[in-house]
Amino acid sequence: MIGVGTILTSMIVAGFLLGYAVDSWLDSRPIFMLVFAGLGAVGGFLKVYKLLSRDI
Amino acid sequence: MSAEEHSSGGGTVEYIQHHLTNLCVGDCDPVTHKAVGFWALHVDTLFFSVMLGMVIILTSWRLGRSLSLDAPSGFQNFVESIIEFVQGQVKDTFPGHNPIIAPLALTIFVWVWLMNFMDLIPVDLLPLLAGAVGVNHLKAVPTTDLNTTMAMSLTVFGLILFYNIKIKGPVGYMKVFLFHPFGKFFIPVNIVMTLIEELAKPLSLGLRLFGNLFAGELVFLLIALIGGTLVVGALGYLFWFPLQVVLDLGWLIFHLLVITLQAFIFMVLTLVYLGMAHVEDH
Repeated sequence: MIGVGTILTSMIVAGFLLGYAVDSWLDSRPIFMLVFAGLGAVGGFLKVYKLLSRDI
Repeated sequence: MSAEEHSSGGGTVEYIQHHLTNLCVGDCDPVTHKAVGFWALHVDTLFFSVMLGMVIILTSWRLGRSLSLDAPSGFQNFVESIIEFVQGQVKDTFPGHNPIIAPLALTIFVWVWLMNFMDLIPVDLLPLLAGAVGVNHLKAVPTTDLNTTMAMSLTVFGLILFYNIKIKGPVGYMKVFLFHPFGKFFIPVNIVMTLIEELAKPLSLGLRLFGNLFAGELVFLLIALIGGTLVVGALGYLFWFPLQVVLDLGWLIFHLLVITLQAFIFMVLTLVYLGMAHVEDH
């Protein structure tokens, strides 16, 4: 699929943004920001792996 | 002394910044012309995107009145080929049945392509013309404004949410959030992961289009600067000007591919995301 590269990046960025929002809500920066970015990276890699292995 | 160098370097930066500044009306900084509040309208972006939308409407309206089955005109053939191309894409990538999808895809493809196409107009022409009638800042390409691309991707995101809830039902959509990547024993992680995944969709759509077009515009500006700042004396033109023309032509031809590809990707990803919303079971 065409959008594989940006999916990975944008999922990490989305994780950061979501973590930032939760952090400013709970006043706990930078815990959630880092955790969610990590989750975003893991999810991004999973997603890319799924997308790339599906077409074969 | 270095005053001259400094002024030429400052001129270069100023030139680029000037070209990358929108015509801002409303809550804007009077010095930098950047938006500082919510009600800051980028008039040039609005004007050009609405104008190109009108061009599409007017052209299709005029073509619609003069359609011919027996002897189609060249333009009719051209438009039909675009429509058939988009239709083929919709049939290939979209699983469900929804009469809105194909017109949406066609609109996105043509509109984004036209907005991108503004990039191929010489970078100084439109700002120069606007400057002649007293408009100081003008950024002619609507898709190099993050507001345009994010507005389009958020609209698509709204449609994704709408169809997710409509097709899967509110409960079915919740289930996607609860049990999606890792099964039922990791519910908190699943919620976060799916939220990130959903948020990444509009982000990647909007940022990809913006990034590609912004970078393309910047390269055009840098090429335009070759003839402007590197030239020393009249002889310099003999070397730098042909170089600028060759580079500009090369980048223009390459960029023609880029703008088509970006419009195409925006359309296909919209189809894919909406298709995912239309699939009943995971």
